[in-house]
Amino acid sequence: MSLLSADYRRDMGVHKYPLLVYALTPLAALVLQAWLPRLAHGYTWFDLPLVVTVYFALARRSPIEGTLLGAGMGLFEDALTQHAIGVNGIAKTVAGFLAGSVGVRIDVENHTIRTMVTFVLSLLSSVIYFSVYRILLGLSMEWNWLAELMKAVVNSLIAMVLFPLLDRTRVRD
Amino acid sequence: MESFFVRYRNLLVLLAILLAQIIGLAMQVRRGDSGRNSLDPQDAPGVRLLRLWADAVVAPPEKAFHATRLGVVSAWQDYLDLRHVREQNEDLQKTIDRLRLEQASLLEDAKQGERLQALMDFQQKYIYKTQAAQAIGTSGSDSSRVFYIDKGADYKLERDMAVITADGIAGKVREVFPHSAQVLAINDQTSGAGVILETTRVRGILRGNAAGQPQIVGILKDDRIKPGEKVLTAGGDLIFPRGLPVGVVEKVVADPERDSFIDVIVRPAAHLDRLDEVLVITSTEAHFPPEQQQDMATSELLKGAQAAAIAEAALEQKKAAEVMAERLPGLTEPNAPATTPAAGTTPANGQPGTGATPAAAAAAPPVPKLLQPQHPDRFTPGAGAPLGGETRAPAGQEKKPAPKTGLKPQSKPGQKANVPPTHAGGNTQP
Repeated sequence: MSLLSADYRRDMGVHKYPLLVYALTPLAALVLQAWLPRLAHGYTWFDLPLVVTVYFALARRSPIEGTLLGAGMGLFEDALTQHAIGVNGIAKTVAGFLAGSVGVRIDVENHTIRTMVTFVLSLLSSVIYFSVYRILLGLSMEWNWLAELMKAVVNSLIAMVLFPLLDRTRVRD
Repeated sequence: MESFFVRYRNLLVLLAILLAQIIGLAMQVRRGDSGRNSLDPQDAPGVRLLRLWADAVVAPPEKAFHATRLGVVSAWQDYLDLRHVREQNEDLQKTIDRLRLEQASLLEDAKQGERLQALMDFQQKYIYKTQAAQAIGTSGSDSSRVFYIDKGADYKLERDMAVITADGIAGKVREVFPHSAQVLAINDQTSGAGVILETTRVRGILRGNAAGQPQIVGILKDDRIKPGEKVLTAGGDLIFPRGLPVGVVEKVVADPERDSFIDVIVRPAAHLDRLDEVLVITSTEAHFPPEQQQDMATSELLKGAQAAAIAEAALEQKKAAEVMAERLPGLTEPNAPATTPAAGTTPANGQPGTGATPAAAAAAPPVPKLLQPQHPDRFTPGAGAPLGGETRAPAGQEKKPAPKTGLKPQSKPGQKANVPPTHAGGNTQP
């Protein structure tokens, strides 16, 4: 893991993508997240919207963009459930903000680092979701931590495959 | 001041968005009378609008994916199915006939049940009308066991309609959109369905746990509840009609929060993890629907035809038995009541002329005479001496009372009873 100096960070350009990639990738993640569990016999051990949020937040190196993207994805996911709208939104807002903040400080070209960031933020997102639901809202909900750990691992594996593919769509100067 | 906003703009944006979401959450949660927080069962207009937008974005691609997958799968399966379709069709037709007969036999019980329920001022609802729909998507979250179907308000679906499959109940409609609907599955933690255990008649509420298994909660400890017992809908929740299959008891575990209570884990009858086609019960009636009544009328007709067929088959079987009796004299029961006294045989009770009337004797076929053995012994028919003038019954049957058949005894007063023989020729007099 290589921490970068401020001058080097300024020199590094922010990654840019075609508008179609910005629009379609999050949308595809949301649709697939809702559709794929039907093929996987109900197992939902992945969170594609979170993976996409982390990717763009890291690549854009912008906490604000990460925050906005995370909030949008989370609210959208909440709207597809029967739960209160905003629980996932808060969790992914924080995850996007942290990913954007970390992106300023680390080498986001390194696959291992990006995978580790995805793993940690996936777990953190689960913790925030559970905390908001149980503590902030005071609602009862059983929780399976093993499933959340499994989800973090699967998210990391997806990130290992998906991030290089998305890198190829990057606009090069 | 300007530098403050510029310097902390990232953090300020984060806080602003978090605050907005927290306020939005606070508006969706209510504190109940019991002091516990709960979500509004009915979404506020703003929340419903967000759900509507999300559904409008996700549902069309999901329908397209689903249709494509179904097209590919069904094209392949159609080819495979066509290979044995004729045999399957015949088997299915037989099954339909059999089921119709069973249904007709159950009709009287059902009608009687209706009358009794009317006496008890309880009306059972029967499924009147259903709407088939395809499951097209999920919520995409483990903590929310909902799925989406491709029919909505355009097919007159409404909130709280029951969703079932051929195997058992699946859930209830929670939200209806113009062209799709959200269904809350029975294994969600926020669902609730009134159920009853078939054998022990214990009632409870079914809801999901964290692992996505349906469980019956709030039941007092009961040793009679065993794995394998069937679980049915109780009908008290006004959503699911009574008597629909829910699943079977998988195991019984202690309630972690309350002593002397148990949770009954249920293995659902419907395959909740791979739902494809479901039925939404759009209407229920207190009486049998016309279609079902028509089916029952057909069943009655079929039943009559089948009864005639069975009688004919029995007649043919009887004729065949008679022919066989003619051709196989050695198998003829030597102690059977004589029907032809003129042929020289002795009636079973040893008194000639009491076995049959002369007219019957004339009509009956001649019974062949038994061949005489070359070396008779004590086992030879007619060689054994009667014990005290009576036939001894086999062990275990000596004190057995005669079965109540409702038929009059054939022996006349002053005549010995015609006791069944112990073995061939056991009571035949020489």
